[in-house]
Amino acid sequence: MTIPIRPLTVTINGRQHGPMDVPEGLMMIDVLHEMLGLTGSRLGCGIGICHACVVIWDRDDQTSEEVRTCITGAGFFDGKRIRTIEGTAQTDERGEIVALSPVQQAFLDQFSFQCGYCTPGFVNAATVLVERLKRAPVPRGEVQATVAAALETHICRCTGYVRYYQAVRDVILTTPGLTRDGT
Amino acid sequence: MRVRRRRTFLIAAAIAIAAVAAAAFAMRNLLSGRTGGPMQVVSAPPDVVARGKYLAEAADCAACHTAPGGTPLAGGLPMPSGYGTIYATNITPDPDNGIGRWSADDFWRALHDGVRRDGQQLYPAMPYTSYRGMTRADADAIYAYLMQMRPMKVANRRTELNFPFNIRLGMAGWNLLFLHDSLPAVSVGSSPAWQRGRYLVNVLGHCGECHTPRGIVGEMELSRSFTGFALGRVAAPDITPAGLAARGWTAAALVAFLGRGLARQGSAFGDMHPVIMLSTRNLTPADLDAVATYLLGDSPPAPTSLAAPDPAEVAADANGAGRISYVALCAGCHGLEGNGMPNTVVAMRNNSTLRLADPRNLIVAMLDGIGAENFPHRQSMQAMPGFADKLSDAEAAALANYLRVTWGGEKGDVTADAVRALR
Repeated sequence: MTIPIRPLTVTINGRQHGPMDVPEGLMMIDVLHEMLGLTGSRLGCGIGICHACVVIWDRDDQTSEEVRTCITGAGFFDGKRIRTIEGTAQTDERGEIVALSPVQQAFLDQFSFQCGYCTPGFVNAATVLVERLKRAPVPRGEVQATVAAALETHICRCTGYVRYYQAVRDVILTTPGLTRDGT
Repeated sequence: MRVRRRRTFLIAAAIAIAAVAAAAFAMRNLLSGRTGGPMQVVSAPPDVVARGKYLAEAADCAACHTAPGGTPLAGGLPMPSGYGTIYATNITPDPDNGIGRWSADDFWRALHDGVRRDGQQLYPAMPYTSYRGMTRADADAIYAYLMQMRPMKVANRRTELNFPFNIRLGMAGWNLLFLHDSLPAVSVGSSPAWQRGRYLVNVLGHCGECHTPRGIVGEMELSRSFTGFALGRVAAPDITPAGLAARGWTAAALVAFLGRGLARQGSAFGDMHPVIMLSTRNLTPADLDAVATYLLGDSPPAPTSLAAPDPAEVAADANGAGRISYVALCAGCHGLEGNGMPNTVVAMRNNSTLRLADPRNLIVAMLDGIGAENFPHRQSMQAMPGFADKLSDAEAAALANYLRVTWGGEKGDVTADAVRALR
């Protein structure tokens, strides 16, 4: 038995990987974990429900969106640009972290997570939300609902979400340009 | 052309008859129309009320007479149509908003003649066209059940129909043309189960109201009964014996589907999901068997087993675009071999929606996704994402064709235009 092979070229965190041979049917999370050593994205449910595995897909129209890597085949990402949790913080030339992203820092400051398994997914979801609000700010009165709508598909089994949502709300309200006046 | 001429004639006839009927009915109905009157007090034995509950579920009153998230049977579901929007009414025994002042005779008239207690015509969004075949005893039992519910003070919303459809009296003429005492049999049979099934399907279940094509003035085209129709975004498929057998349905599979919402052929989605949850799941095993017996007939046609993919059709997807999309977006859950996951994700192989000649429902499912759904016996299916923003029209068409050819035994004849039309 031979497994069909497909070529994959994908840009992850600004760096091009491939062209490389990937067995057809391999989900992207397996490519990240097993072939590229990027183990930060979490495999939770494996059926696209918990969203621990989401990465950020940077679309050509300058928008960004979440993609679940546990149910999305590697082939989908051929020729695309994505960001994983490993690329979120600023690093120096040696790869050492020098500054966390505002979302990451807020999650730490507010003790948003406990076991941390779902955290990469929450960081990516919140990052996508912040980027969306940069393009299209919402009234300050709608921030709470906007955060809830953006994060509601992400499952956390430890903390009850309150501190996650609170941290993201604070980031949005204290970052200029993400909100406008009004309710 | 002939069909169109016939339709034009029918419309003209309908309007003419409506005008004549208007005079006669205006006299009778407006004079007899009642709005006030005493609150009815109904005392029925518990077994009659229980039977009424069973029949009300079999007749699926709740599917329309309950708004999403609303009070059971207190009305409010908007039913959009080409003629405007009709809102289902409150049928709890509230005296002012519901049927609290209605007598059993009033209730019977609504089900049997499509006439409200105040003498106004109902619109056939209320399926009196099917309920007309109901026995008086069954109508009375449903009435007894409804009248012992808690009255709910939920106001009805006015229908929003365009002229001339907003003239309720016009329905009197429509009824003369299109209201029949019984609907045609869709299969051949005579057994007691078949006869019971005919009553459950044609009358109580009013299956034809969605599954039978509708003509230009909204009438069921009875000569094409159960051959399928797209009243909403998800089409009601062909459920004639031949149509069902062609997609591999057997009596046992129909019983599983109607009783649990899940079968090897797929899970209920779209408007059929509430039908399962509110109605058919409550049917007794004997009644479920009767429904399956009637749908397929006393001598069911042999189910068509799925043929191997047509090599010519497979070759047509020369660059494998459909398979590439399938592996990228679908195989993570539905599996490389299309087998799905037990209790979690339906199989693509042999899936009834893939085996429909009309690709509409397949395209709609791919574009819109299907929300997470609960089923009887604590079963559930996870949500399927929609892929409208991830697939171009051409990619979606290629994917639909891959699915149809590989696991549906259908032709790969879906075009990008067909996808675009459903966006």
